[in-house]
Amino acid sequence: MTRDEHAPFLENIPAYAIGALDADETAALASHLEGCASCRTELAEYRALGESLLTALPPRQPPAALRKRLQSRLLGAQKTKRLTFNWSFSQLATGIALVVLLAMSFYSITQMRSLQLEQARLNRQIRTGQTVMSMLSYPATERLAINSESVVGSLLLDRERNIVALIVWNMPQLDETKTYQIWLINPQDERVSAGIFRPEDDRVYTTYIVFPEQSVTDFVGVGVTIEPAGGSDQPTGERVFKVDF
Amino acid sequence: MTDANESKLIERVARGDERAFLELYDRHASRVYGLTLRILGDPMLAEEVTQDTFLKLWSRARQYLAERGPFLPWLLTIARRVALDRLRLESRRPLLSDVNDPENVWHTVPDPGSTAEESRWRTLYFAVLSLHPDQRKVIELAYYQGMSQSEIAEVLNMPLGTVKTRLRAAMEKLREIWKEG
Repeated sequence: MTRDEHAPFLENIPAYAIGALDADETAALASHLEGCASCRTELAEYRALGESLLTALPPRQPPAALRKRLQSRLLGAQKTKRLTFNWSFSQLATGIALVVLLAMSFYSITQMRSLQLEQARLNRQIRTGQTVMSMLSYPATERLAINSESVVGSLLLDRERNIVALIVWNMPQLDETKTYQIWLINPQDERVSAGIFRPEDDRVYTTYIVFPEQSVTDFVGVGVTIEPAGGSDQPTGERVFKVDF
Repeated sequence: MTDANESKLIERVARGDERAFLELYDRHASRVYGLTLRILGDPMLAEEVTQDTFLKLWSRARQYLAERGPFLPWLLTIARRVALDRLRLESRRPLLSDVNDPENVWHTVPDPGSTAEESRWRTLYFAVLSLHPDQRKVIELAYYQGMSQSEIAEVLNMPLGTVKTRLRAAMEKLREIWKEG
């Protein structure tokens, strides 16, 4: 661009800097500024001058009532401001990261708890299996048949070591409001609770070991009934099976 | 430059600290009111616009970035925009006699040289006063009334070319004085 072509733009820069240039000339100059570094430098100086002109006016004290009015307006604005989440991007990112971290931690804890429960269930199954194996291999263990309308299985009775083991096939699953309850039956036909259990989900047979508080020789038989969840003091529900020693 | 104490005040305002806000008000309200009164020429309107300006500061303090420049011009830029918007809304301009008589506008100059900042604006204040009245008139109308050069030509009933020449000459003179200062 020649000096003559450049001059009209340069002349308009002071007016442009303080917003006094008319619209048509403003558009032309803005376009020129995009490609002219020297005009941009010139503009920066005039803009700085324009900014300083703002401060060139003498101060005037506003009425004292204005300060009080602003103070009362702030009280209203303050309430709104406290209710508004005015987060910066970094605060928002930190917040999201924390939420994700908490969610991951919660998920991990839940998973760990679930694994612990599964491990405990498997340990219980192993211990029960080992007990049953040891009872079967012990010469003094008596094996009694469980045979009712609904289930079949075996009852292992070890009077010396005071252990009773139940191995029952095809026990129906119960809803959450019910449980199976084992009763030891004494010669007076009284029932003493020996525990509650639920069938394993993944097995067709259920194994349950009873370690009676009294000597098993004090009893003459074992029965199982369906009771409300948590068990009962005395049998109240349907009998599933009964085995006499 | 914005001093460190003022930067902290602005940060506190951004966090909703009312006491910090009032401290900033006490520091700068007279400058804001002086500007808005100059633009609007009406004490009642100037008071309203000063209030609007500080309410904007209250809600937008977070937008102020110290690295981009001092606080006071930033605040006064907001005040000027609010005042010019109000001027357009009211569809009114102050009487030309007000504009033509600088003594009516610039009569409350405080005693000289109490602070460095006052010294700075005083330089420009006297620079504007030193302009030829015809030049000062176009600067006043352009900068403090938000008029374009065409509007100024219409108001003053003079050729557009004359307005352009006067405005350019005035700005060049102000720049020279400002750079020397």
